Amino acid sequence: MKLQAFVSKASLLTILLLALGACGGGQAEGDGKLTILEWSGYEATENPDFFGPFVEKYGENFGDKLDYIFFAEDAEAYAKIQTDVAADLVHPCNSWWQLYVDNGLVQEIDTSKLSNWSHVNPALAALGQFDGKQYFVPWDWGYESMLVRTDLVPEVPTSWADLWNPQYAGHIALWDSGEANYAMTALAFGIDPWNSTPENDEFIKQKLIELKPNVLTYWSDYTEAYDLPQTGDAWIVVNAWQDAYANADSNGFAVEYVQPSEGRLGWVCGFGISTNTADLDLAYEYIDASIADSSMAALANTYWYGPANTNALADIDPYVVEFMELDQANSIQERTSFYQPITEEQRQTRTGIWDEVKVSQ
Amino acid sequence: MEDRRRLSILITPSVIFMLILFVLPLLIMVVYTFRQGSFGPTSRIFTLAHYHDFLSDRALQGLLWRSVVQSFWISIISVCLAYPVSYHLSFRAGERKMTLLTIIIVTAWVSFLLRILAWKVLLGGSGAIASLAQGLGLSEEGVPFLIYSQAAVNLTLIYVWIPFVALPIFAALERIDPSLHEAAYDLGCSRPEAFVRVTLPLSLPGVVAGFLFVFIPTVGEYVTPSLVGGTTGVMFGNIVRDQFVRALNWPLGSLMSLAMLIVVLIPLVVAARLFKFSDLAGL
Repeated sequence: MKLQAFVSKASLLTILLLALGACGGGQAEGDGKLTILEWSGYEATENPDFFGPFVEKYGENFGDKLDYIFFAEDAEAYAKIQTDVAADLVHPCNSWWQLYVDNGLVQEIDTSKLSNWSHVNPALAALGQFDGKQYFVPWDWGYESMLVRTDLVPEVPTSWADLWNPQYAGHIALWDSGEANYAMTALAFGIDPWNSTPENDEFIKQKLIELKPNVLTYWSDYTEAYDLPQTGDAWIVVNAWQDAYANADSNGFAVEYVQPSEGRLGWVCGFGISTNTADLDLAYEYIDASIADSSMAALANTYWYGPANTNALADIDPYVVEFMELDQANSIQERTSFYQPITEEQRQTRTGIWDEVKVSQ
Repeated sequence: MEDRRRLSILITPSVIFMLILFVLPLLIMVVYTFRQGSFGPTSRIFTLAHYHDFLSDRALQGLLWRSVVQSFWISIISVCLAYPVSYHLSFRAGERKMTLLTIIIVTAWVSFLLRILAWKVLLGGSGAIASLAQGLGLSEEGVPFLIYSQAAVNLTLIYVWIPFVALPIFAALERIDPSLHEAAYDLGCSRPEAFVRVTLPLSLPGVVAGFLFVFIPTVGEYVTPSLVGGTTGVMFGNIVRDQFVRALNWPLGSLMSLAMLIVVLIPLVVAARLFKFSDLAGL
């Protein structure tokens, strides 16, 4: 056989084998094991007390019931589930929820199967409803605001719009996320962040370009949001989560987590059950365990994340309760602009705007 | 015939490996550039819209060009800094050759990310270099010096790549027959002349290979600019990444990657025409 002929035959064989392989897969198997598409750091195998009742029920070998597939970005989770990664549960954040529902990737949740459902904050639960049906169970939530080194800034900002003040020139770290910067800028200039118009898009782009002289760098990983203020490289880390404040504060740095006059941004993430799951009962058990009082208190105490369950306060560190204002659960939404679902087109536009800002010289 | 059959059997695993993990993904990427959306119904609609978007976006093309030029200079400087190291190793190090070579290789074993982070610490506001700059009155106290700039990206990448460039140049220098030098001196060449007329031309395949080792991955670099580049160090790779992990616009991201691939292929083709591939591979 000539080498060339051999290579072409081998190629053909390879492609055929791949085509055959592509026909299978996609459907989660009913193997009594739950496959969870999850951010790393939330897994029960690392933090069993986040899922107390589940761990109690299945004993030490509860890990045999669970399989995790990790993701680092919401886009990655969405891409994985769209490309036939077989998962029973997925834990995305709420600006992505609508996409899962519209594309039929998650099923309606029967909340009567969740014994702890009545303790879930109704305002957060409402974010998981689409067309009057519950598709996502909110679990963890948090803020996005300005984390400020009070000993370095001439003046602590009191509004998102203060970021544009030249006194911060070269000392601000922005999150490398078009979606976040769009929302932050819209709030600063009194625009509704979730209503895109070509005029708003253009205005926000110009404002972000104007902000560039004040910007030191863009942070992309949460560890950078921890490090930048602590090394003193950045005076203000924008769109930082509250755990970055907790970390800097506990390390003894003079920091403030600003409550801007326009309100903080807020995010909430939660569980959705895949349309294809074959382990429905186990999926409900897992979700129910996650929103139990003890589990939610453990999550809040460990990560300084807000619990969706408002009944968990008694077991949460009073300092966390006060800082997160967990005792005022009903007014959180009034003071905070929670992310809203945006369309694929809006997401592309906002990333495009942000890329233009980054590329502009 | 027997030889051919044996060769066929030997290359089968590599051919299949390359087809599945290299050629096929590239073809899939090319197909994606014509898709309207990343998944679902819109991915089954084929369009040239992304080509139109990319070709009409001067700012983006400008960034690609700037990234190519930046990578070119990073590669040139890396080669210039690595050459004397390789030269010393090959002709001057004598018995210590293997020890020194091992030291160079060992530094390359340290995680890429760790070495970038080390620079971040060194150049940061409270780091050693910033403190020195403050001591010399070059910068204000606590203000990051050099970091979060394109210069920091260049510095970090050159540092990271030097060992990888030094190796192919060293391999090329090792292949030079010492009698050629003796012949050059016998025929009246001075040392510099012998270097320019004998050593340098014979080591060029190693130099080109080293250049390409740096140039190809640097054009698509996004980790280093993201960590130390600040607002001026953004490279084309960062924008490609945004299309995949933020916008979920795989078609445009694929097209941008394809454009980058074509730009990288040009010097590769030129190099392949000027030199034999076996020379570049250090065989």
